[in-house]
Amino acid sequence: MSKKTYFHAIKLIPEKCTGCTKCVRVCPTEALRLRNKVVELDASRCIDCGKCVAACSFGAIETYADDLQVIGKFAYKLAIISTSFAGQFGDGISYETAKRGLLHMGFDAVASEAMVTEMMGLMIREYVSNHPHIKPILSSNCPSIVRLIQVRFPSLLPNLLHIEAPMSVLATYFRNKICSEQKLDSSEVGIFLIVPCVSQVTAVHQPEGTYVHLEDGAISIGDVYQYVMANIKEIQADTTPMEVYPKGLSWAISGVEAEEVNDGSIRTMDVSGVHNVIDILHNIENNQLGVYDYIVLNSCANGCVGGVLNVENPFVAISRIRHLMRNATHKDFHDQLFIDLYRQDRFNVIPLEPRPIMALDDNIKNALTKMKQINEILEKLPGLDCCACGCPSCSALAEDIVAGKAELDDCIVRMRRLKETNRGE
Amino acid sequence: MSRYWYTREGMENRANRFRQTKPQPVITMDYSIGQHDFVNAGKASGDIKLALKKIGVDSAVLRRVAIACYEAEINVTAHAEGGLIHANIFPDLIQIIVTDTGPGIDDIEQCMVPGYSTATDYVREMGFGAGLGLPNIKKNTDALFIESTKGGHTVLEIIIFYE
Ligand SMILES: Nc1ncnc2c1ncn2[C@@H]1O[C@H](COP(=O)(O)OP(=O)(O)O)[C@@H](O)[C@H]1O
Ligand code: SF4
Ligand SMILES: [Mg+2]
Repeated sequence: MSKKTYFHAIKLIPEKCTGCTKCVRVCPTEALRLRNKVVELDASRCIDCGKCVAACSFGAIETYADDLQVIGKFAYKLAIISTSFAGQFGDGISYETAKRGLLHMGFDAVASEAMVTEMMGLMIREYVSNHPHIKPILSSNCPSIVRLIQVRFPSLLPNLLHIEAPMSVLATYFRNKICSEQKLDSSEVGIFLIVPCVSQVTAVHQPEGTYVHLEDGAISIGDVYQYVMANIKEIQADTTPMEVYPKGLSWAISGVEAEEVNDGSIRTMDVSGVHNVIDILHNIENNQLGVYDYIVLNSCANGCVGGVLNVENPFVAISRIRHLMRNATHKDFHDQLFIDLYRQDRFNVIPLEPRPIMALDDNIKNALTKMKQINEILEKLPGLDCCACGCPSCSALAEDIVAGKAELDDCIVRMRRLKETNRGE
Repeated sequence: MSRYWYTREGMENRANRFRQTKPQPVITMDYSIGQHDFVNAGKASGDIKLALKKIGVDSAVLRRVAIACYEAEINVTAHAEGGLIHANIFPDLIQIIVTDTGPGIDDIEQCMVPGYSTATDYVREMGFGAGLGLPNIKKNTDALFIESTKGGHTVLEIIIFYE
């Protein structure tokens, strides 16, 4: 099996882990185990969805994002903010002010994902009409979902939209634009994403399917929020004009992207929450959803407003974004360079490789033998999926036993029941 | 009683050899399917799919098994009075045998025609009955055998090779 090393934007802090197994139970790819009383991560399985971070009550799973200092080494620094950023700030602070905060942090310019969401809609519609034989096309903007498909649903890789996510599309566009306008070498231009989640940090550090590595770092929305709040007086006094694209903010909210892509001729659906997405991917694998043309999949419930690096409650953020959108006048983003890059296929991604973690062995015969052993062990286990052994389910324990990573005696329920029957006899 | 045989071109020898030598499966899986139990329909094909992922079957082949098995499961749920799904997993192929106790099929050839369906209004309301299930099973299968008696049982056997 592949020995590739994987970057992950989460870090386990063993000293803080109490062994409660909450994270083990929520992990959608069974990547976590409790061994020797502390939690362990299988890096090849982790999809950076951040469910474990949200589940841990003890701060034992920390998130990683780049430190602001990393921007220092570039002559020109651009920040590209995720759509969910707009929902983080309270009523007294306008979206323009929040955005202006990034200039105070040291960036030379600030762009937002919202700028291209409408263009993305056009590109997606064109992609869908050029690929009528693939039904449904699956959105590729949530890196967690792309990785979920690689590890658990590789047969659906051809269904992924083979266009970069909006922030990466913008990174390509701005790198070209800045280099030519400012007469700078590409190495002097630093492009940083302001992200709502750990999966986007991972996507920046270990991109999948990109032709050229375009982004230089990922900074957490939470860190920017703290900076803005700490320097709010100064930022509010600043009157530098800021371009905003409030209509494009809809992508932060699950349900809205699909509505926008749907121009009446294509059938779309929006699914959010990683466990819901898994159910839907199963249905797609069985061809149950072949009537749909395009399905938007987000790992976080309610969309990117639910990402773990945000500060605001997702529902509050949604209401603020909707408020912004409602009161905004529409602004077009129309740019020849952008269109040229699109027509030159510069926003495309390389077809992704599967990351098969499910197979019990590289060799089918051996895998079958192991499966037989697993089934035999399962007969002896109570089937409670209680997680007391440190595995997410009885079948995961059985798999670990066969893989030589655990023992039958790790199941304390079985031990106890055996003791009771022995006593009874 | 009527019978329907289909073998994908080029697969005849392998399919015949399998049927003649009758090897022992390494893993077997059994599921019972309730009449009109649309809530649980998909469970058997889901489990079979998971098993094939665990043994490392190629993803394109897996997709074909998923589609064929799911359609067969839905047909028992939608058209029959309940039945059984029995999967035999071998190192080089999977054999899925679906049996039910009725009402049977009169003209199998006709049921293989895309779009042909006798689905009741109730089944259509559940979102099924496009008449593409059996044609899709055939499209995704290397060898297919159906035997049915009007007013009696139906047996459907699907064989898919891993490569
Ligand atoms: N297990 C079965 N028992 C009885 N009739 C069946 C069975 N499976 C399929 N049929 C018949 O074959 C027809 C075509 O099946 P299929 O192609 O799957 O389309 P659909 O299920 O959408 O009707 C069904 O409408 C039904 O009349
Ligand atoms: S839904 Fe958005 S915030 Fe959540 S993991 Fe995916 S990209 Fe990140
Ligand atoms: Mg059918």
